[in-house]
Amino acid sequence: MLIRDILEESVQKFGEVKAVKWLNRKEILERSYSEMMKNVISTRKGLLAEGFEGKHIALIGTSSIEWIESYLGIITGCTTAVPLDAALPCEELIDLINRSDSEALFLSPKHRPYLEAFLANCPKLQKVWMLQEEVEDVPADTYSISELRNSGKNAEGDASCPDAEDIATIIFTSGTTGKSKGVMLTQNNLASNVEAVKISAEPGTAMLSVLPIHHAFCLVMDWLKGFSQGATLCINDSLLHMIRNMSIFKPDIMLMVPMMIETIYKRLAAADPSIPKAVLAEKVFGGKLHTIFTGGAHLDPYYIDCFAEYGIQILEGYGMSECSPVISNNTPENNKPGSIGRPLENVEIRFEDGEILVKGTSVMKGYYQMPRETEETLKDGWLHTGDKGYIDKDGYLFINGRVKNLIILSNGENVSPEEIENKLALNPLVGEVIVTGEDNGLTARIYPEQAVVEAKALDTEMIRSQLQAFLDEYNKNQPTYRRITGLVIRKNPFIRSTTKKIRRQDVLVDEPQA
Amino acid sequence: MNQEMEFKNIVAQYSKVKPEEMTGEMRFREDLGFTSLDFMSFLGELEDTFDIELEETEVTKITTLEEALKLLEELQ
Repeated sequence: MLIRDILEESVQKFGEVKAVKWLNRKEILERSYSEMMKNVISTRKGLLAEGFEGKHIALIGTSSIEWIESYLGIITGCTTAVPLDAALPCEELIDLINRSDSEALFLSPKHRPYLEAFLANCPKLQKVWMLQEEVEDVPADTYSISELRNSGKNAEGDASCPDAEDIATIIFTSGTTGKSKGVMLTQNNLASNVEAVKISAEPGTAMLSVLPIHHAFCLVMDWLKGFSQGATLCINDSLLHMIRNMSIFKPDIMLMVPMMIETIYKRLAAADPSIPKAVLAEKVFGGKLHTIFTGGAHLDPYYIDCFAEYGIQILEGYGMSECSPVISNNTPENNKPGSIGRPLENVEIRFEDGEILVKGTSVMKGYYQMPRETEETLKDGWLHTGDKGYIDKDGYLFINGRVKNLIILSNGENVSPEEIENKLALNPLVGEVIVTGEDNGLTARIYPEQAVVEAKALDTEMIRSQLQAFLDEYNKNQPTYRRITGLVIRKNPFIRSTTKKIRRQDVLVDEPQA
Repeated sequence: MNQEMEFKNIVAQYSKVKPEEMTGEMRFREDLGFTSLDFMSFLGELEDTFDIELEETEVTKITTLEEALKLLEELQ
């Protein structure tokens, strides 16, 4: 099964149903499945006509109709889509375009200021299509998506169907070695995950998509799964407006990360207790929301009970980009709050020293151009998740710890502490540094370089102000989830193991505060 | 209710600090316990309550109550 097959079947069954709705200022715009498919096909044919068959193509932008049509145009042909995090700084995007060997790029108008830097620093990049109908004052090799689609409409040939084992998409995920890794997912990986998640929805079911579209959870479960059901995907234009957009689009179903549930809960809890729950639910959730699927981080089961009082069922699941992404999930029929659900039918699970290992048709092919990291994670077809867990007598999976050092924030972002520590360590005043995740934010724990302290005769206050200024500067260029919000200045060096590695498990214990 | 009080009541929805205990130099994240998403949701509420429009790129620079209140006054 291919995503192309799933999409074609949906267009056949739900042609006139609205596939996507979005806001242009205060006006709601919409596009049906058959209208959307025309753009998908002309994009696909355009890519073939322009000579990009078999090539990697990057996309940078937040959720938009142009983004998803372009993405589908890429993966329904014989090309590989590389969705990148639009919140990353310019130099990191350049690095990812280069490391993914992308030869073309779809770029949102918001990122127009980066365009010249991309063209100058990405030698393989041949063409850029701006995700808008018309462009003005752009450099050579830059066009609008209309130009690509027109080239497709005028072309005779259509791309042949990809092979099920072809790489459909490369999704970057935080690495524990300090470098993000490109997860290679095949056509079959994506399609089998869409098929294996047993959630059904009526055609036209409204889903409000609030997660970043470059994330596997959003891309596969909101968009691809939603399209397979004939759902109407509504685009949340900004996290500022999530609540307002719930009132506008009146979603039936939403995917959220735990942090979103926690934020909404605060608003519910702060409301005047004399307001009936049904009235409050209509005001906050739009009046139709009945199910929230959540994953990406741990959710306190307390919220599940609380939301149930407002008529909303929260169903928790578990996954990672390397598994396309869902591994297990609770469903309306099989639900055990506190667990992360039963494993999907296409997934085999076993445990090694408590670590969850996964095998199945959704497991990635490997990390792009990273054979060593691939070997460490994929052994004999078993994916080492880095999470510790167990299965209870009823077959429900539970997580109870982590093997790797990744920090999982409740917004679902995985942050590699080593990646940040390597950057902070470049400052001469930083002797040793460990980054920890506390209260849903990142804290840098720094033991100052004593030689610098002595040479410059720095007192405690001076050390703090210099390090804080350095962190403020570092934060300026980082996406919100990678900013350091806490600073602990240590009086003593970190405790090290016999192999001279810092014992991470001790850093919160021996000097919790400065 | 004056504007500052209304503003603080919205802040209080996301924080354990009571409106009457809030001071201008308090930081959303460190002193009031906001998560990054609380902050976004709070700004959305400011837009709806005071009928203003905020730019996402502008608001990420705000760290204290005083700064947010000043921006609110400027936009009205």
